[in-house]
Amino acid sequence: MNQNLEFNIDNIKNISLQERQSREESLKLFSEEGFPNKRLEEWKFTDFKKILENNFDRIESGRIMSGETQVKQIEDFKHNFVILSNGILKSSNFNYEDKNKIKIKEYLNNNFKRSKSLNPLINLNDALFEGGYSLEVSSNYKFDKPLVVYNYFSDNLKNKIINNKNSIILADYAHLELIEINSDISKNNFIQNNYTDIEIGQNSSFKNYNVQGCKSKGFYYKFVKSSLKKKSNYENYIFSSGLKFNKIEEDVDINGEEANCKIQSALFLNLDSHQEIKTKINHLKPNCSSYQKIKNVLNKNCKSAFQGKIFVKDIAQKTDAYQLSKALILNDTSEFSAKPELEIYADDVKCSHGSTSGSISQDSIYYLMTRGINKKNAIELLTKAFLNEVISNIKSVEIKKFIEKNLDRQIYEH
Amino acid sequence: MLEIINLKTTVNDKSILNGVNLKIKSGEVHAIMGPNGSGKSTLANVLSGKPGYDISGQILFDGENLNNVSIEERAQKGIFLAFQYPLEIPGVNTNNFLKTSLNSIRKSRGEKELDTLTFLKLVKEKSSELGIDEKFLSRQLNVGFSGGEKKKNEILQMKLLEPKLAVLDETDSGLDIDALRIVADGVNSSKTENNAFLIITHYQRLLDYIKPDFVHVLSKGKIIKTGNSELGQQLEKSGYTNL
Repeated sequence: MNQNLEFNIDNIKNISLQERQSREESLKLFSEEGFPNKRLEEWKFTDFKKILENNFDRIESGRIMSGETQVKQIEDFKHNFVILSNGILKSSNFNYEDKNKIKIKEYLNNNFKRSKSLNPLINLNDALFEGGYSLEVSSNYKFDKPLVVYNYFSDNLKNKIINNKNSIILADYAHLELIEINSDISKNNFIQNNYTDIEIGQNSSFKNYNVQGCKSKGFYYKFVKSSLKKKSNYENYIFSSGLKFNKIEEDVDINGEEANCKIQSALFLNLDSHQEIKTKINHLKPNCSSYQKIKNVLNKNCKSAFQGKIFVKDIAQKTDAYQLSKALILNDTSEFSAKPELEIYADDVKCSHGSTSGSISQDSIYYLMTRGINKKNAIELLTKAFLNEVISNIKSVEIKKFIEKNLDRQIYEH
Repeated sequence: MLEIINLKTTVNDKSILNGVNLKIKSGEVHAIMGPNGSGKSTLANVLSGKPGYDISGQILFDGENLNNVSIEERAQKGIFLAFQYPLEIPGVNTNNFLKTSLNSIRKSRGEKELDTLTFLKLVKEKSSELGIDEKFLSRQLNVGFSGGEKKKNEILQMKLLEPKLAVLDETDSGLDIDALRIVADGVNSSKTENNAFLIITHYQRLLDYIKPDFVHVLSKGKIIKTGNSELGQQLEKSGYTNL
């Protein structure tokens, strides 16, 4: 295989000698293994190396200027916004908020001394990342309106890999709802490799929604490391359908008592899309709960996988952890794989996991058709019904409407 | 309106209907009674177009042979089946389902689709006639409904869709006396000169409320006796074995 990888640290500006050394070390670690394949347990179902080889003759790193960003802002609800263009923080607007309580700036690495990862894509990110944003919310500050992060990619990204890092820190008693919308106008394949750090303070709550705004030539990988303090709440929703490749890894440390974590996903996948979700929920303190519900509808020629792990430390008694993945397979050219895992060292816990996949109920289709509804519409109605179980959990009416509209577009325009 | 000629059906090589002949005219109410396993529900399913049956013979609806007509087109032409066991469909909102159904049928008739407000007004009116609590309509379709509520929901659909021919498959089973009366009133108030009903039942009870013009006895896949409403009363006393 002759795939050229042109990964260059020399072009990254304004870094100390120490940081450069750290980056070089990370790049060396990455180079030993290269992109991940099925030999790694985290990539059990997917040979990412092969996928990239089939889609890229060469891959090159480096900051790309986007020119004018053509971000089409959503008009569905009033919101603050942050615009990232090709991974770089471009602008932000917090007009609905008390600006003294919010700090937003370009991401700067001040933690490059931390121990090296075993994850090749994190190593690559550590070596090559440029930009991203870092957001800090002061204690006792509750956002009045949601924050939308527009993650925009321009049309000149042929064979590019964009590595960036984001950091979101909520101090104690803070509240934020964040909607991340990916959109691009690229006509050529590119790769986005993102690392996001989330820290949620005591009694704080953070809701995060991942939305794919359009069809894309992008291959996305995102690793989210979050840490929850006492009595905090973390909710993550994944609605990012429609990508040629998308993998989201969530690694959650529940570090304080009575904290809750929820990860939910409703996906409608179609033609050549590939979606993976991998979670690891680490229950490290007693009396915490976690809830995971992953629902996938697979139409033609697509692939989806869910790897979900619940880890319960010996001291994490009274843990309540739930995990369920369900797939509805509409066409036998599609494939869904699931690997639920429990690793429990405490003896007084409630943990459950389940995974089902199947086709749509013929009896239900028949019933709807006897009411004058044609087969296509009946299947659409049942598909929506299947995903609605997750959508209906969204509390904010305006965000729910927006997500529904986005999902309808995917279901009805295939 | 409906003419069934020598209808035979088999499922997995097992024959169920063995030559049914039946004629129903506009304005008529027909009842079909018969012992368990005689083919009553199969007849209802076949009329609705349910797949999985091998069929010979003819079903003519307004003169048109239904053999190659799809399930939803039959519904659009005016055939309605009230299910013996209405399905629970989690995630589908009842009101949304009713509106989609009604508008599909209106559209096929070349009528204007109803907007949400007009629809809600209509459904409110029809459901109060049947004593259906409006709250049910915002719940998931039949999920957690009692047996009686599910059956009332079927009758509500019938009243909304205003079919030419309504086939009621054991709509009375599992109903208490009050619910039975409500369902019967629902049917009686829907009767016109232009529509017809085919009521499948085990018991005379329902026929005390809905007076049929004809009662047929189906046994071993054939209609073995036809009479007026007195036949039902007679069967209630003597059973099927003496026929």
